[in-house]
Amino acid sequence: MKIRLYYVVFLILISMGSQQLWAQDLLSKLVKEEVKEPSYAMSTFKGNRLSIGHSVETRKKGALEATFMSRYWNTIEESNNNFIADRMCARFGVDYAFTDRFTAGIGYGPPNGIADGYIKYRFIRQGIEGEGSPIGVTGLQTATYRSRQLTGIENRDGFFDRTAFTTQLLIARKINSSFSLQISPTFVHRSSSSNPIDDNNHFALGFGGRYKVANHVSVVSEYYYVANELESIETYGAFALGVNWDVKNILLQFTMTNNQIFTEDTFITQTSRNFNFKDGNFFFGFNATYFIQL
Amino acid sequence: MNKKLLFLSSFLFLLISMNCNSQKSNQYIARQGEMSFFSYTSAENIKANNDQVLSLIDFSTGEIAVSILMRAFKFEKSLMEEHFNESYIESDLFPKASFEGVIQNLDPTHIGTQTRIVKGDFILKGIKKTLEFKIDINKIGDVLSVKGEVEILVKDFNIKIPPLLSPNIAKSIQVTFNFDYSEYEN
Repeated sequence: MKIRLYYVVFLILISMGSQQLWAQDLLSKLVKEEVKEPSYAMSTFKGNRLSIGHSVETRKKGALEATFMSRYWNTIEESNNNFIADRMCARFGVDYAFTDRFTAGIGYGPPNGIADGYIKYRFIRQGIEGEGSPIGVTGLQTATYRSRQLTGIENRDGFFDRTAFTTQLLIARKINSSFSLQISPTFVHRSSSSNPIDDNNHFALGFGGRYKVANHVSVVSEYYYVANELESIETYGAFALGVNWDVKNILLQFTMTNNQIFTEDTFITQTSRNFNFKDGNFFFGFNATYFIQL
Repeated sequence: MNKKLLFLSSFLFLLISMNCNSQKSNQYIARQGEMSFFSYTSAENIKANNDQVLSLIDFSTGEIAVSILMRAFKFEKSLMEEHFNESYIESDLFPKASFEGVIQNLDPTHIGTQTRIVKGDFILKGIKKTLEFKIDINKIGDVLSVKGEVEILVKDFNIKIPPLLSPNIAKSIQVTFNFDYSEYEN
């Protein structure tokens, strides 16, 4: 009799147990139902530009961005009686994303009078959760035209002499949610050189990184190494250290750098000052990008 | 002899009980459940839709589970979607939100719509909160759908909104959902 009772209790327990097992698994059953769709790493960087140069990012279809870029600096020659800084230069630009992968932009910068345009296409998007590509690759092609008659390292006689072109392959990896790195093999072609010892073609390698210090704030840095530098003037690698802050529809970028021109062909190959905090060498950059969804 | 019989009968009982369980499990799955959330403020209205929500319901026990892929929420403005994933929800670290609960006093035999309270645990950004809300369950034959609305407080889930943006994002987010289920084959 006793044995029988044990059996009954045992059976009830087992049947209850099996029921329990049955019921608790709803969520884990759902995990099995998940459809694996290819998904890509988002926001390797926050904007089209890392700080002075382009980033691997393109915007989503229909995104229109109005950008204001500026640099401020003091000169050694003059006394610092001016408001904020002795010199400044700016670039006004518009960037539009035609598709999720294709972005193009144009800009014009006073007082240098450099007009520029670029197209950017995202070839490879970085996958997530160990699937897909470990890196993202974007191709960039820019063209610039110098509208003002100034002395430069290029000839400014004919229309074509005033142009320069930059081709970049932007390769980046979002290593974790706050840290991303970028490396960018670069080819710069300048249509003319005023000094015959200068090569019209330059090869360079860009390095960039960002570290997110808060959800809306990141620290960014860039450096460009030029393999065959200009011979007629002494040049240094372009360097930038800055902070990116996104506020609502606006991305604010604050940069400390050693050059004042916004176009790739110029700042990569023609940065004539080393990076330090002395007047004449220190350039403060401020960019504001306003986002509009069309 | 007696013992043998007992063993045999118990084995049979076990089989029957297990069989009963599997027959009783009338489970339904929604693979393309729709979920939207709204944030209404005087400064800005924000809306996002997700049509890939997974849900499983056990109609005999009243248990319901929901799994929500955060990056599947689509916004009108792509920049908002980026901010949502990157800065607020941190979908890299917390890709999914889930809900697991029990529908109170569910009548499995009821034909048509019944309004019931569902109570359970909602996990978002790794934070678990017990939620209780009303849902409408509509079942006619094998066609089952569940819809409802629930309010989520932003401060409950460690979602940090910078002071500059706080007028643009509501303190409580309204979530509406509509799931169409079909029979689930184990």
